[in-house]
Amino acid sequence: MNDNEMLNPEACECYSPQEQRIIDQNQGKKDKYYASHARVFKLIEKFEGQTPFIDVERALYFTRSMQQTEGQPLVLRWAKALYNVAANITVGVEDGQLLLGRCGAKEGRYGILYPELDGDFLDIAVRDLPTREQSPAKISAEDAKIVMEEIAPYWKGKTYHEALNKALPEWVHKLTYVDDAGLISRFVVNETSSFRSSIQWVHDYEKVLKRGFNDIKAEAQAKIDALDPANPVDQVDKRSFLEAVITVSDAIILWANRYADAAAEAAKKCADPKRKAELEKMAAIARKVPAEPATNFYEAVQSQWFVQMFSRLEQKTGTTISNGRMDQYFYPYYKQDMEAGVITEESAMELLECMWVGMAEFIDMYISPCGGAFNEGYSHWEAVTIGGQTKDGVDATNELTHLFLRSKREFPLHYPDLAARVHALSPDEFLYDVAETIKYGSGFPKLCNDEEVVPLYASKGGTFEEALDYAVSGCTETRMPNRDTYTSGGAYTNFAAALEMALRQGKMKKYGDEQLGVKTPDPRTFKTWDDMWNAYCAQQDLFLRATFIQQYIVTKVRAEHFAQPMGSALHDLCMKHCLDLHTRIIPEGANFGYFEFMGFGTVIDSLAAIKKLVFDEKRITMDELLKAMDANWVGYEAIQQMVKNCPCYGNDDPYADQIGKDIDRICVEFGKVHGPEMGIWNDVRYVPFTSHVPFGKVVSATPNGRTEWFPLSDGSSASHGADINGPTAILLSNYKTKNYGLRNRAARLLNIKFTPKSVEGEAGTEKLVNFIRAWCDLKLWHLQFNVLNQETLLAAQKDPQKYRNLIVRVAGYSAYFVDLSPDLQNDLIARTDHDTI
Amino acid sequence: MSTFEDRKVAGLVFNIQKYSVHDGPGIRTVVFTKGCPLRCRWCSNPESQSPRPQMAFNPGRCLGPAKCGYCIPACPSRSITDKDGALDIDCTHCSTCESLDCTGACPAQSLITYGKKRTVGEVLDVVAQDAIFYSRSGGGMTISGGEPLFQREFAVTLLREAKRRRIKTAIETCGAIPWENLEEAAPLLNHVLFDIKHTDSERHKQGTGQANERIVENLNRLLDTFPELPVTVRTPVIPGFNDDEETARSIGRLLKGRTVGYEALPYHRLGTQKYMFLAREYPMGDVKLPADVAPRLQAIVDEERGAR
Repeated sequence: MNDNEMLNPEACECYSPQEQRIIDQNQGKKDKYYASHARVFKLIEKFEGQTPFIDVERALYFTRSMQQTEGQPLVLRWAKALYNVAANITVGVEDGQLLLGRCGAKEGRYGILYPELDGDFLDIAVRDLPTREQSPAKISAEDAKIVMEEIAPYWKGKTYHEALNKALPEWVHKLTYVDDAGLISRFVVNETSSFRSSIQWVHDYEKVLKRGFNDIKAEAQAKIDALDPANPVDQVDKRSFLEAVITVSDAIILWANRYADAAAEAAKKCADPKRKAELEKMAAIARKVPAEPATNFYEAVQSQWFVQMFSRLEQKTGTTISNGRMDQYFYPYYKQDMEAGVITEESAMELLECMWVGMAEFIDMYISPCGGAFNEGYSHWEAVTIGGQTKDGVDATNELTHLFLRSKREFPLHYPDLAARVHALSPDEFLYDVAETIKYGSGFPKLCNDEEVVPLYASKGGTFEEALDYAVSGCTETRMPNRDTYTSGGAYTNFAAALEMALRQGKMKKYGDEQLGVKTPDPRTFKTWDDMWNAYCAQQDLFLRATFIQQYIVTKVRAEHFAQPMGSALHDLCMKHCLDLHTRIIPEGANFGYFEFMGFGTVIDSLAAIKKLVFDEKRITMDELLKAMDANWVGYEAIQQMVKNCPCYGNDDPYADQIGKDIDRICVEFGKVHGPEMGIWNDVRYVPFTSHVPFGKVVSATPNGRTEWFPLSDGSSASHGADINGPTAILLSNYKTKNYGLRNRAARLLNIKFTPKSVEGEAGTEKLVNFIRAWCDLKLWHLQFNVLNQETLLAAQKDPQKYRNLIVRVAGYSAYFVDLSPDLQNDLIARTDHDTI
Repeated sequence: MSTFEDRKVAGLVFNIQKYSVHDGPGIRTVVFTKGCPLRCRWCSNPESQSPRPQMAFNPGRCLGPAKCGYCIPACPSRSITDKDGALDIDCTHCSTCESLDCTGACPAQSLITYGKKRTVGEVLDVVAQDAIFYSRSGGGMTISGGEPLFQREFAVTLLREAKRRRIKTAIETCGAIPWENLEEAAPLLNHVLFDIKHTDSERHKQGTGQANERIVENLNRLLDTFPELPVTVRTPVIPGFNDDEETARSIGRLLKGRTVGYEALPYHRLGTQKYMFLAREYPMGDVKLPADVAPRLQAIVDEERGAR
């Protein structure tokens, strides 16, 4: 293929429907779903391609209340602050929208601020965000002034991030941050708890739909009435928690009622009788839910929407609040209304798509530079879970499951993040529909495996019913909404840096003479592979210790800084024990924490190359290898080629995979011993978001032939272009590097890129289904696909305007390709795509 | 023979390709073996033709003698030299070279060996790695080539051992082999992909170097002797050779009344680069096949043979 052909995606043999859609659009054709989805297309036209705005209202009203409640119990302060937000934040009705509920006054794409979390970054953010390469955002001069003069000053010295920065022991601090103030990440043992008030979370939305907040409030009141007047714990701790539940219930009801007023007002002024009727209906629904139980599909959707949006006002749940098993808790309302003939598939889909539009307008804003680098392309994981099994362990799919998949193929944006649970007895009807949707090419749905998650969660503290009823939460994680209680973001640990330190006696090229790691012996003195392995293990062990100590401190500091009254009100255990969800340990809860293994493929391939070339075959000396890496391979191209052609992870090659399994085992066993000491599970996970790019930027050349500062391998995927044995081998390498005999493991993210040609037609769909079934048999945690032509990505990089709509699967989420930094774009292009022979 | 003896039987294999989804049912692994009686002008696996291991050179991956040069001292006949900063390879001795040490010394996989001796046991261990995908998809192992039955003992033993391991099998054959080879393999097969490239023997000879009588006879005998064995007849549609309606009709007539599958495979140019690696000229030049031809001929064959 010549260069011109490479850049001409229209010369490809076969397109995914997504690619076809973009080609049609560039040829000026109207989207084929425009007519049938006119309402949402019109809503989208208003904000598509916009750089998001920062909306300061939430931060402002939250801060003003917090200023007045200093010294009171934190959970109560939080509830009062939310009440102040609910009472004052702008409410309005959007033209054409069928749902009510936004987190501020700004129209279009917008994000909000959480100064209590990382307010010490606000001045940097206001300065840098508009021009930042990753996920920029705009702020008006007036709002910038409010941030700088009213919000930021109050939080100086009070934020969680500052407290954490002070609490870390010096040697851990050194691996975490570069500077004393902790504003610059080291990207070695990186904390992530300061760019999100909580890790991913799923509420028990069904509770609101069935009971309403009035009933939750009544429950709290009854508990207050039953408190022992002489018991100080009852009177101090429990009372303030329960009063916070009442206050926050009042807050969300007030907020909904203000929307009802706004809709009624708009209806009065509306001249169009059709819209007027819509507005009147909307007003009536907002008057009723979420205070009262929902009685039909529309009310259920509106009630859920109020809860998820209020949750965003409550705290920054990392990766956006997840939506739980929507095809389960909406189904009774859907079925009832469909049977009664009150709604149609189309009207139900339109309502859901109004929700997807609302999700698309809200940007999960990361204001710190580190948070931005972790979450490129306005990442979002408002995971909507479909499929899977019921609490009784039978297949759970229903008509609504299929409606979600259909909407995913027809709705033009990458919202919501759709996650399909797959199990051994998932019906073909479901899997074929899933495969057809994957073939659409925008990376949806991602798959989560019941055969891995359910038994693991049942063994780690859930009942079988709870484990069977898990929901996907965030990127690849999963939750049992009334059993999980863990909210602290975990450490992202750069084990490729551990490898570099093993070769540089505890130092890194990037950080010069600083002794960051263990001073292991000069690698030139290594006589055997064991010497090399031991040096690596010594660094890995240090990193693991830092990871766990950091996390223990995180869990303690966080409990003093965050509260989540609404989230707690929806949690059985919090209500039972009258404890806020951010409490460090909640009785009967399961604390599913995790730390991140960064650079799995990079480390395995590097160690395999050293083992093979330096020790087994003695083709090169350690000295030659070190010099080659020091020179970033310049002048040592032959050695670079030699190491690149060694066994690599991702090829079902036991030489490489055994090293991976040993490394994984060390992590798993460390968690097994030291997690319980902290009272949490702190288990190894392989899910980088987009952080393998910034983590790579601190690691110099590695023995797998990788050049310095290049991205690390991502998640449990192979190194770039190293997987040459096809997609089955990737799955098998993944399987063979897991230690199934132990349970101290969390999620593994796995990306696979197919060309549209390889899954073409009905036969292609069938093979994709078979591939998914085999993945399920192998008990791998997660799987997601990009189905597109390499040429499309190259063309989009060259001509972004034409490819504004191109959606690609990045980590556990999909994003607009053109929203990604050039580094990440190149990273995606370099991933091996699998065609057929 | 026992499974222990079978596993030791060795043959020349030049590639094992996993996740193949166009060569038989389901998700398959294709084992490519060396040696072929035909010399098709369009052959997309030119490295398969010779029954011996072969050295090939991919200049695109070569780092050049200045940066590398490992191959120069490795060549037993000293036929690789540094000529003004580029590699100069004198191939006079390559075809008789026993060691091909240059390819082992090359760090960049620029000098490569097509064809390595692999035992049945080794091959099947690789094939069996994907067993879970075969059982989920109805796939299995396909032996291709070259002509798989060119190395008769190896192919038959491989099939027998696969059958023992409950791996479903298929071959892609050109049919130009002694009937006995096919007869011995057939009971071990779950599927046969059988090429009929032309019905006119003279034309067949022009395109492939061999007449077609034996091929047609083998097909007929196979269908008569093993009526339960699923067979798919395939025709690579080659511009200027068999891309005309009359040829399609005659293939259709040949298959009339037979219970076989049929596929017209569009000509592709994916093997072009490998000719360059082998220092051979690509006989087809730059001809291309319009995208609509193969589907049209497929329809004609199906109409003529009375399918659908």
